[in-house]
Amino acid sequence: MERRSFLKSFTAAAACMAVLPRMASAADEAKKNMGPNEMNYATALAAITGGKAVVESAKVKIEAPEIAENGAVVPVKVTVESPMSDKDYVKAIHLLNTKNGNARCANIYLTPANGEAFFGTRIKLGGTQDVVAIAEMSNGTFLSAKQNVKVTIGGCG
Amino acid sequence: MKTLIKIKPKTYAAGDIVKVDFMAMHPMETGMRKDKDTGAIIPANYIDEVKFLFNDTLITKMVVWESLSVNPLFTISFKVPSAGTLKVIAKTNNGQSVESSESITPKG
Repeated sequence: MERRSFLKSFTAAAACMAVLPRMASAADEAKKNMGPNEMNYATALAAITGGKAVVESAKVKIEAPEIAENGAVVPVKVTVESPMSDKDYVKAIHLLNTKNGNARCANIYLTPANGEAFFGTRIKLGGTQDVVAIAEMSNGTFLSAKQNVKVTIGGCG
Repeated sequence: MKTLIKIKPKTYAAGDIVKVDFMAMHPMETGMRKDKDTGAIIPANYIDEVKFLFNDTLITKMVVWESLSVNPLFTISFKVPSAGTLKVIAKTNNGQSVESSESITPKG
């Protein structure tokens, strides 16, 4: 009888031990797949604006290809109409994507010394999605523009 | 990390707005890619901050994430006030940093 109960508890313990590490490793695996800076678009947007309204505006222009054959290198240029004077200038341009693991591409903090509000770069896009530029003006308002980019070959991985 | 600064156009006068290209030879690893042979995850290694300074005054600061392409390009506008030195400092997420500079010599 004693032997039987011992065996029973032993097999139960063994089963537990076999299951637990597997669960842990699954969680680790999921974490690994998240990437170090995982953040979705809505969270990234809220972090930038702090809940303030963002107005789509023709003052913000995004130049990006409508169809990108290679998602690894997508040229993007952002121009914001502004006098860039000491009193009225673009504080920052935030470049975002809507579907990469990390929705943030770059935050560019400008000064009147720039002369005009412009930023150009090349970004990676994991698939077809919108590229969004948010301009933070010196008076505290946020203007935005977006462009959809069709990606034929994904650029992440 | 090799870097390159280009001013466009090549000749400009004081008061002109020029485009400054800063390029860095960097893999911009996302931390999500796996090594094809071993299957091990390649650790994240990307430029996370770029600063443009003119005569040691900050013009533009960028906070950057891994979504930028390999060998990233950063272009800004710059209104040339006078002759001086343009300095670019780039930092990576694992503490590496590189500094490069270009002299600004307006003509006319």
